[in-house]
Amino acid sequence: MIETVNAFASGFSQIFTATTFGLMLLGIVIGFFVGLLPGLGGPTTIALMLPFVVKMEAVEAFAFLLGMAAVCGTTGDITSVLFGVPGEPTTAATILDGHPMAKKGEAGRAMGAALVSSLMGAIFGAFALALAIPIVRPLVLTFGSPEFFMLAVLGLSFIAALSGEALLKGLIAAGIGLFLATIGLDPISGIPRYTFGQLFLWDGIGLVPITIGFFAIPEIIELAVQGSSIAEKQAGGKVAGVMRGVRDSFRNWGLVLRCSAIGTYTAIIPGIGGATTQWLAYAHAMQSARNKEGFGKGRVEGVLGPGAANNSTIGGSLITTVAFGIPTSVLMAILLGAFIIQGLVPGPEMLLPEPKGHLALTFSFVWTIVVSNIITVAVCLLFLNQLAKITYVRGSILIPLILMLIYLGAFAEKNAFQDLVLVLIFGVLGWVMARLSWPRPPLILGLVLGPLAENRLFLSMELYGLAWVLRPGVLLLIALTLAGLFYPVLSARRRRAGAKERGRTSTKGAINSPGKNALRFSWSAVFGLVIIGTFILALVQSTTFSFRAGLFPWTIGSLILALALVQFIKDLFVGVKAQNSERQWMEAATELPGPVVRRRTAEVFGWIIGCFLAIWFFGFSIGVPLFTFVKLKIHAREKLPLALALTAFSWALVYGLFDFVLKVPFPTGQLFRWL
Amino acid sequence: MRKISFLLAVTLLSFVLICGYALAAGPYYEGKTVRIIVGYSPGGGYDSYARAIARHMGKHIPGNPSFIVENMPGAGSLISANHLYKVAKPDGLTVGHFNGGLFFAQVMGQQGIVFDARKFEYIGTVVTGGCVALLTKASGITSVDKWLSADRPMKMGGVVTGAYAPDNVTKILKSTLGLPIHLVSGYKGIAPVRLAAESGELQGTFGAWYGVRVSWRNVIESGEVNVVLQAVEKPFSDIPDVPLAINLVKTDEARQMIEAGVHKPALFAWPFVLPPGTPKELVMTMRNALEETIKDREFLAEAEKAKMGLDPIDGETLEKIVHGIFKTDPALLDKLKEIVLQ
Repeated sequence: MIETVNAFASGFSQIFTATTFGLMLLGIVIGFFVGLLPGLGGPTTIALMLPFVVKMEAVEAFAFLLGMAAVCGTTGDITSVLFGVPGEPTTAATILDGHPMAKKGEAGRAMGAALVSSLMGAIFGAFALALAIPIVRPLVLTFGSPEFFMLAVLGLSFIAALSGEALLKGLIAAGIGLFLATIGLDPISGIPRYTFGQLFLWDGIGLVPITIGFFAIPEIIELAVQGSSIAEKQAGGKVAGVMRGVRDSFRNWGLVLRCSAIGTYTAIIPGIGGATTQWLAYAHAMQSARNKEGFGKGRVEGVLGPGAANNSTIGGSLITTVAFGIPTSVLMAILLGAFIIQGLVPGPEMLLPEPKGHLALTFSFVWTIVVSNIITVAVCLLFLNQLAKITYVRGSILIPLILMLIYLGAFAEKNAFQDLVLVLIFGVLGWVMARLSWPRPPLILGLVLGPLAENRLFLSMELYGLAWVLRPGVLLLIALTLAGLFYPVLSARRRRAGAKERGRTSTKGAINSPGKNALRFSWSAVFGLVIIGTFILALVQSTTFSFRAGLFPWTIGSLILALALVQFIKDLFVGVKAQNSERQWMEAATELPGPVVRRRTAEVFGWIIGCFLAIWFFGFSIGVPLFTFVKLKIHAREKLPLALALTAFSWALVYGLFDFVLKVPFPTGQLFRWL
Repeated sequence: MRKISFLLAVTLLSFVLICGYALAAGPYYEGKTVRIIVGYSPGGGYDSYARAIARHMGKHIPGNPSFIVENMPGAGSLISANHLYKVAKPDGLTVGHFNGGLFFAQVMGQQGIVFDARKFEYIGTVVTGGCVALLTKASGITSVDKWLSADRPMKMGGVVTGAYAPDNVTKILKSTLGLPIHLVSGYKGIAPVRLAAESGELQGTFGAWYGVRVSWRNVIESGEVNVVLQAVEKPFSDIPDVPLAINLVKTDEARQMIEAGVHKPALFAWPFVLPPGTPKELVMTMRNALEETIKDREFLAEAEKAKMGLDPIDGETLEKIVHGIFKTDPALLDKLKEIVLQ
């Protein structure tokens, strides 16, 4: 025991030697910018840093790497809030409420909330790591494939909360996500499913291009349609500032801690990282809020939840990586590479005090996460109010820069040009779903949990037959899932009953008023028809797969088809209501007349595709600056010096940083291939 | 005396001239950058080897080119292999490092393969992928004899149909030696397999020795996991007493199947290759450089620290081995296909 305490103290003092602390600061500075820039993911950058790590001592190396990794999620939230583009794949959920807050002129408050909840999450995760050390191995070893499968199901049950009012739509969206997750090689027999002869689809569709397209493209369209800045107008008086967000974090400390716990403990499971935990935390924030109004339109709770979870995840992932040498995420896989370069083998000896093990080193990880987050948040708080002013910059100036971030971010994860096409496809899908008020988070949740569910279900069946259902862990998780599903229903019923007693008529009666239903054209019905058509085609295709490869797509597909038919009929016959709600949505978003909205929408679609074509034709290094200049000077009629300055900036970023310094292998433009 | 100084002057002059000429023309690689394209994401085994080689190979090439590593992950490194075959220029500046199991997959007729392994130029390999059978203490199997007489099949972890290790090795040895095995495939790599073995869900697996002797070291040393069989031609030097699978065969056909499907693919699992049509002198330069690199003291120190196994095969030999698998008896190949792709 005393040795453990000694190791805990020694881990602390170790990171405060001059070189180690210096390297940690360097890591923080790098991680700061990596988090801000969507194109630079934490994993990619850490991989680039590995060669320098070879020459460092173990404590130094991890202070450097973890310092960098720990702050990525923190500063990534800033980009998500300001631009609606996820700074890191793990900060996409922050967009849902963080960006609408920015649009309301509360960017400072949203960022303050994101940062402080991140800090609290990081500290929670780090100490969870410290406390878990004695019990982590037996705990994780009680988990087998059946329990992993049930955890995925438990995660999927959060769909109900994420769907809000539109449960049917939420279920269909989640089903689409699950179905999209079956694209690629089937995990056991290796048979390609829905890959259309494209090798790049063999590993499935990447989460990064999908989240970027799905959330950032609709935002950029709206920005262009509004024709103003991100934040609508200078709120008369005082802008809701950073300190308010800080206070929000402390006032909602219960939520922040619960979401930190969600982040840490689910991240222990191999296959679940920050990309998943943020959504679970968001769902929890929604579910636990007494009044569910306003989520997705700028509720600070929607920022606090994911903000805490994506940082607390690092502690949880580290538990599994350190104790078992099993990376739970891409980031951890790379950290594992760093372990191996250092000649360390993760496993039980990482948890034993010196001289038998490296416990002090493990504790130094804990301290690195804590200290680096404190430094980052303290530095950020100094200038966040300044940064928030970017939301008052004219949209026409921001659009080319945001588009650059979108395409860079999509490309750099796998160095694959095809991912840019995915951004466009999912951009359109995300925009349509936003317009027709379909909840989008369930789709992402289905997509991230789908592979885990399918894989572990097959493994469970293969290992135990049907007997796996009776394992105690499985039964416990089934009970938890059911409780999670039925508790909100029951409590809602109780509340409604209470309301009735007080004699208030609920709004529900008005919605259900019959009479106006007629068979009528609506875009919702068209979208429903598209879903149905796509799933029929997909099901026909799935008959060519072998039994095992086809089972999952077939089951999910037919279920979704049935649900989509119900939704379609609803949309078809409640045409008036649907049309009204569509109109309302538009009115809520803009006060502009219809023709202007349509013209501007068409225009911005043109620019989005134009930027893509410029990159395809000229390559990134020429295409992006050229596009920036054309958009600014010719379309937006900005002054020449400003247009030139921003063009130079985009060139410096794309060519200088990504191409020249980081050696990102951009594809050659089509033009130069012909020449 | 004058004669000598004259001769000396001439020698000096010609030396200066030759040097000057050589400098003016410059070696081909001077000022150039060689890219090693790795078929997997950063942080994995292929990436680590490529980056370690990249850090030291430049100084063994005339002109000292700089080396960079690029990751082109996807489709089990098939995307990068096809890229190297179709797109990369044969100018000696692009090197591929991907899963050599794909060469065997070509013979097995796997879809999606565009390349012809016989047309690549082989630089060499620094490590092999030979496997050993690992069984947990809980399985009760401590030797291959006990295993052969076990009353129930051992649940052993696999990743995906067609992968050399563990799937192909497991299936071929099960079929040729009659080992009682129930292959459970679908784990996302050897690390989750180890977790499943530690938690008792699986009884073992086949794993590449140079990898598992590092990542499984704890459980092997503590006796939680036993190494009961090795699937290579000659025993690994650090486990000389573990029996060889090939010595258990009963028929000549079984022997040939193990040689073609298990022994040979292990040798070319980690190849460094150049695009087809790369000029012979550049191939030779790269081959020499790789051979020099793996003798480089700094490289060796780094490999030692990171516990990277080294078991090199030179480019010429590697080329012969790869070309060899295409000459396997077609009837034997059909049998292998039946076993491996079932």
